[in-house]
Amino acid sequence: MTHKETSRRDFLKKLAIGGGGVVILGKYHFLFGNEPKNGILKAIVVDFDKCTGCRTCETVCSAFHHPIEINGELLNGLGNPKLGNIQVYHYNPDVDIPSVCANCPDTPCVNACPVIPDPLTGHKAIYRDEVTQAIRTNHSVCISCGSCSRACENERTGIIKMNPVTQHPEHICDHCGGDPQCVKHCPYGALSFREVDINKTYFGLSPEEIAEELFERYYSGEEVING
Amino acid sequence: MDKIYGQYGILLDINLTTKEIKKTKISKNDLKNYLGGRGLGMKILWDRIKEPGLDPFSPDNPLLFMPGPFSGLPIPSSSRTTIVTKSTRTSPVTDKFEHSSTISYANMGGFFGPEVKFAGYDGIAVTGKSSSPVYILIEDDKVEIKSARSYWGMGTDNFDKVLIEKYGKEYQSCYIGQGGENVVPYASIINTAARAAGRGGVGAVMGSKKLKAIVVNGSQQPKLAKHKMYLELLDKARTAFHEDKKGVDYWRSGGTAHALESSSNAGTMAVRNYREGTFKEIEMINTKAARTQIWKRDFACFSCQLACKKSGFAKGAYGGVVHDGPEYETGTMVGANLLISDLEGLNKIIFVCDDYGIDIITVGGVLGFLMEAREKGMIDLEFLDGIDLKWGSVDASIEMIHKIVRKEGVGKLASLGVKALAKHIGQGSEEFAIHVKGHELAAWNVNTRAERMMITYGTANRGACHLNSSSPSRQNHNAMQDSLGACSFAGKWYNKETAYRLFIEAITGIEQTEEEFKQIGERIFNLEKMFNYREGFNRDDDKMPERFFKDAHTYGKGEGVLATHSDFDQWIETYYSDRGWDLKTSKPTAEKLKQLGLDFVI
Repeated sequence: MTHKETSRRDFLKKLAIGGGGVVILGKYHFLFGNEPKNGILKAIVVDFDKCTGCRTCETVCSAFHHPIEINGELLNGLGNPKLGNIQVYHYNPDVDIPSVCANCPDTPCVNACPVIPDPLTGHKAIYRDEVTQAIRTNHSVCISCGSCSRACENERTGIIKMNPVTQHPEHICDHCGGDPQCVKHCPYGALSFREVDINKTYFGLSPEEIAEELFERYYSGEEVING
Repeated sequence: MDKIYGQYGILLDINLTTKEIKKTKISKNDLKNYLGGRGLGMKILWDRIKEPGLDPFSPDNPLLFMPGPFSGLPIPSSSRTTIVTKSTRTSPVTDKFEHSSTISYANMGGFFGPEVKFAGYDGIAVTGKSSSPVYILIEDDKVEIKSARSYWGMGTDNFDKVLIEKYGKEYQSCYIGQGGENVVPYASIINTAARAAGRGGVGAVMGSKKLKAIVVNGSQQPKLAKHKMYLELLDKARTAFHEDKKGVDYWRSGGTAHALESSSNAGTMAVRNYREGTFKEIEMINTKAARTQIWKRDFACFSCQLACKKSGFAKGAYGGVVHDGPEYETGTMVGANLLISDLEGLNKIIFVCDDYGIDIITVGGVLGFLMEAREKGMIDLEFLDGIDLKWGSVDASIEMIHKIVRKEGVGKLASLGVKALAKHIGQGSEEFAIHVKGHELAAWNVNTRAERMMITYGTANRGACHLNSSSPSRQNHNAMQDSLGACSFAGKWYNKETAYRLFIEAITGIEQTEEEFKQIGERIFNLEKMFNYREGFNRDDDKMPERFFKDAHTYGKGEGVLATHSDFDQWIETYYSDRGWDLKTSKPTAEKLKQLGLDFVI
């Protein structure tokens, strides 16, 4: 891994001081002044100092989003961690990186979707929900092109993956309708549901990029300001 | 046959000689009577090893990787995998067969067992022997035996990085280092570069089969019998942890390393090859020192709330070493027991052992024995190939570890453990060769709590084992716990309305009374015992090293305290009669075996 991300962080900090506008710089492409009008944007934010890599978040996310019907009653599923929208990446030297949809204000995933917006709702196959402010997908109009996933991969966390069977995007966080299970059940208090802040150190970074920063932070003695 | 819930009834059966890969059925009865993990592993071992005296390095010795019925479910602290095989480490006082040895069960945390369950198996059995290095790649139903030539010779830390790079987050693995490759009898199996199934030579058996690693990625979970009941229990268990902040914090803040200081203060620590129970320099290696100088982050196993693993970064004379910091066993066995108080050096030794994949408890026993023999003039510098092995020496310890793993010169003999060393050296050195049945003792010393520790070590079915416990009921409980995939550190949160028995009912649908459920652990323990008895282990083998009857600690708590042989005889007879075992031979009575449904071993 390289150290290019440090410069990106510096860049973002400068950007924050400089204010809004449109900035295009390769991967670092942000659109400002484009925030949603209904309420504030929130997302799951990770405190990497507290995460121990237990993967409870994956299991509770999965259990909530993949319920099963027992005697006519819809109950939480078993929590297969592979099906969680949040995914924890483990590295050596020891660092664990929960990766989750950053709910980017400028939505590279939505921007990349080539589907013509529905004339009534304005929604493409991937869109921001007006009520919850979360990114949602509409599989019935999705053409399985993978553009959203590639945009996320190239520009942000890379959490959006195409399901190998359905060929639709998955792992997009819906905030469990406002009461995120991962936040509620994290035994270590490492997760919180709060306003999106693109100036935070680790905003929108991929697990590899964050791991690189944490290796330096913990295993080289160099102090880095936490996001 | 009625439907199996919560498990698959499938063992993945891989023969490395014939390269045959198949799914073998596990009966619903075996799943009920032995659960999984240690217990089911023992039953499979019994079924497959039909005659005593099998060479543990024979292709016919199965190496069993066993998760349990809890594995793969997010029940707090249920990450354990037990590896069961015939031990490479044990031998009776009087050999009944050339290769008499006990069973071996070694237990590791992490993420491997749950992943085996996700792949659709209740266990993996590896038999046979490959002619060249291989690893096994499992992706649900797709199982391949692949060449490991390019990985052979790689230390576990580097290999772990290679696997992460090659396979990514969806895959979990366990593997051996050069210790296992070179078939060092006390080689361990490692996962995530630091978690070890250390005891009983499981890594040596893996190496003898030329199996470098098992890599798994699975996508399944079995249907549970009583889903709603399970969810309610899960909720209660999570609440039980959540409400016991103090209990949980003990593990998070230091894990077993907290015991370094408390055990030293109590005079129960292995110090100077078990000669003393208190370490005068304990403040150099206790949790406070580790937190300040070494530990960086806390790590948890799958779905665990305790995070007792501490990742450390040691600097100083040995360069930057990122590794699992000292915990109680490692900190004592290659620390206090060798009078090593250099925390960075200690961390380096731990890293070297884990990177090679050798059992740190045994290494501490072997080095302690050699240091004492040298001090007493029973062996000289020439015997040690010029390695100046003295109390407290980090460099000499590391040099000796290199020799052991390469089986060079003195290392070849030292790789056989303290029993073999004492036999070779003679001169009365067997009195301080600290082992039971050939298996070196762990970090809890004996004298200060002689009755408890002598029964614990003396009666353990894998040879000396600190996790065995001293009363039949606790031993049975632990055998059951090891068979669930549950972690013993979290046992206290599974009581009354969160009892293991209730989880088993929800998962498998099998309703049992408390008495019936308790019998499972007793059944497992007695089957293990019968395996050992058939191999020629009897009452003569349930004995303790002479040191614990002769050398009272000279300072600290428990100073001057010694048990006598007649004390021990009395304790062991009480134990045998509580167990329903014959006092002369230690053999479980036919009546006891019948009562446990073990008619087939009589």
